[in-house]
Amino acid sequence: MKKLLKAVLTATLVTAMLAGCASKKTSETDASVATGEGREELVFVNYRDIRDLNPHLYAGEMYAQNMIYDGLIDMVEGGFEGALAESWEISEDGKTYTFKIREGVTFSDGEVCDAHAIKANFDAILENSERHVWLTMMSVLESVDAPDENTFVIQLSAPYYPMLTELSMIRPFAMISPKAMKDGSTMDGVTEYIGTGPYILTDFVTDEYAVFERNENYWGDKPEIKKITVKVIPDNQTRILALEKGEIDLIFGKNMIDADALQNYQDNEKFSIALSDPTSTRQIVMNTTHEILSDKNVRYALSYATNKQAISDGIFYGLEAVAETLYAKTVPYCDIDLEPFTYNAEKAESLLAESGWTKGADGILEKDGKKFEIELLYNSDSVTEKNISEYLQSEYLKLGVKLNIHGEEEQSYRDNMKAGNFDMVFNISWGTPYDPQSSLSGMTGPVYGDYAAQQGLEDKAEIDEAIDKIMLSVDEEERQELYEFVLTRLHEDAVYIPLTYECNKAIYTSSLDGVGFTQSQYEIPFTDMFFK
Amino acid sequence: MKKYIINRLLTAIPLLLAISFLCFVFINIIPSDPAEVALRVNQVAVISDELLEKTREEMGLNDPFFIRYFNWLADCIQLDFGISYVNPQRTVLGEMTRSLPNTLMLAGISFVLVIFLSLPIGFFCAVYKDSWFDKIMRGFIFMTTAMPAYWVGLLLMWIVSIKLDLLPTSGIGEGLKSLVLPSVTVALTYISTFIRLIRNNMLDNMKQDYVLYANVRGLKQKDILTKHILRNSLHTCVVAVGMSIPQLISGTIVVENVFAIPGLGTLCIESIFNRDYPIIQTYVLFIGVLFVTFNLLFDIVQCAIDPKLRKEEA
Repeated sequence: MKKLLKAVLTATLVTAMLAGCASKKTSETDASVATGEGREELVFVNYRDIRDLNPHLYAGEMYAQNMIYDGLIDMVEGGFEGALAESWEISEDGKTYTFKIREGVTFSDGEVCDAHAIKANFDAILENSERHVWLTMMSVLESVDAPDENTFVIQLSAPYYPMLTELSMIRPFAMISPKAMKDGSTMDGVTEYIGTGPYILTDFVTDEYAVFERNENYWGDKPEIKKITVKVIPDNQTRILALEKGEIDLIFGKNMIDADALQNYQDNEKFSIALSDPTSTRQIVMNTTHEILSDKNVRYALSYATNKQAISDGIFYGLEAVAETLYAKTVPYCDIDLEPFTYNAEKAESLLAESGWTKGADGILEKDGKKFEIELLYNSDSVTEKNISEYLQSEYLKLGVKLNIHGEEEQSYRDNMKAGNFDMVFNISWGTPYDPQSSLSGMTGPVYGDYAAQQGLEDKAEIDEAIDKIMLSVDEEERQELYEFVLTRLHEDAVYIPLTYECNKAIYTSSLDGVGFTQSQYEIPFTDMFFK
Repeated sequence: MKKYIINRLLTAIPLLLAISFLCFVFINIIPSDPAEVALRVNQVAVISDELLEKTREEMGLNDPFFIRYFNWLADCIQLDFGISYVNPQRTVLGEMTRSLPNTLMLAGISFVLVIFLSLPIGFFCAVYKDSWFDKIMRGFIFMTTAMPAYWVGLLLMWIVSIKLDLLPTSGIGEGLKSLVLPSVTVALTYISTFIRLIRNNMLDNMKQDYVLYANVRGLKQKDILTKHILRNSLHTCVVAVGMSIPQLISGTIVVENVFAIPGLGTLCIESIFNRDYPIIQTYVLFIGVLFVTFNLLFDIVQCAIDPKLRKEEA
């Protein structure tokens, strides 16, 4: 019997050794891929599949749509740049936009991309206009026309200033080959993903990988990297390990890497990290219709009692900067001088005393026999929000404020937020390129929690009116003034406690260069990347 | 015997109905409005009331509860499980059949590992009870039962793929080689369970009278152990082994996600995150049916191979 045991053990050992030898071979080939010299292939990773890349619907990954398709124009720092439209003119009344279409551009299936093809795309988009009502331009868009093959005209019923911003959005305004449409329509799907962009989708296996190859007929500057493979790895930790192993070259995105991991790679020779300008603002929204929070003094007190620096350092390792205002100063029209609510516990205390709150026997503030007890709602899927909630709970308690924290899964958290069922709630601004125009616009209706939260403001009607005016303004100076008015009011009304600015993060093998960020947080500028 | 099988088959029907009903109820008591969820997962930024009403009508959500249930059930019987919310181009059935092979592959390899490792180890542990081998194995069982699968997975990945550079970290790009780590991870917990089961069963059997008689009859020790004790111990393991198959198929969820294997588990987790209700519903139903089927099957198998049970039934 002992012999048998020995035999089994030996067999196991031998198998293990054989397995070891067999796999050695491929790891050598892997190693040659990991060094940068002359590489033209990049392996990128995403947490999910590319899904449906129909550019006129919203069910696909934006970075991939951005690789395959072009729009009329691109948003760049400080303005816009022509893409499929070489140049454009806006009539004096702000209602007619005339685009001169770039000549000689073809889709990757050989179809010509002239004004008629663009008209066909707009027709397909407008056929499904109900789906795009979130874009304010849809409500003012009157007609589109292609008088000749190089001219494309959009006629609006009223001037609308963020028109170009909305047109630069990859969806729904990216152009697909009319041949890939189903009888000129895209709302029920497309037959192929054919665009004019720098890359062509050549292969994909759902939930496994997608391969993009350089479009050799691309109208713009050809990217250095010839082939991009996107692997699907849903788990955060596994992605990091795959990067360590050299199986992937780049991790990119807001929620693809957690702060702890990023911290580990800060001074690493093999890997580099990059952080973008603020993309969006993490904030707490206070419900101004709430019995206690309707008092502006109280809102001020809570703003002063929030130690943002401690949150930024303690929870984000300083990787998310402190947010002083609702929108970062780098956001268009938002470079305004506002006095920040810098952490000041004494001031908070005196403000609360001013409003008549006194500490009871149990250390909790009281007023007219009522305790200072409020609830903070957070998305229980987000560990970060839970951490911040717990921190604030202990901080506020020092003041005598009893903060009950309450987590709900994402959908019901959103439902509650929209319905206004909250005292305080976590929120993240829409982010680039939707800030500030689209997110402010969203405050005028029950889209997110903002509308409900602001109902208690005396000047709510005035603020809404100013927001509506911004959208219709044709004069740059007037627009800036209106923005200043709205943002100053919201700041002084202290509806929001801005916490930190979220930013886009990238971590990549050091042989890769040119990793940067664009004006939209959902785009990945592969075209600028190259291997050293 | 025939009567027993027919009986068992008949009781399975109300059980399956109950599972389908529960499955439907659970999805329906989630407080969120499925129409709104469907719109939100497609990133419609502004969801207007008209749009909601239209979507509800399209999805048949305005019908009374039982009508919806019976419609759904009737569709399910015809293998029409609906369309994914997230990607309306795809049917739930298509998504399930796309992911199933990978999960079956992973579960299959794990199953083979479980059987081939736990059988000899369990056997030797019982034969050499309290020897160093038995003690090490008991320690091993103790440890692996306490370690969560995702952690074991990451640990293996770190040691085997990164430190030793032997195998790929994740994905299924390198065929069988990519499946080594995930299947070991899945198998570990089951191996421990089965080693313990076989070991204890054998120890129990060793105390039986028939072993004494066999010894008296002067049979070879080897024959007593393999032909009598092991065989008798395995009878009781059959159901556990049978039930481990659906357990393995459903238990790959976490491991698939960690190792980026595009199987049923990944599909399920993704659907949970996206609130893709039709897929979640079908997945739960599928796993439920799987358990009932295997339970039924192995009850019958056990009855067939174990004369004692057969006698009781008769």
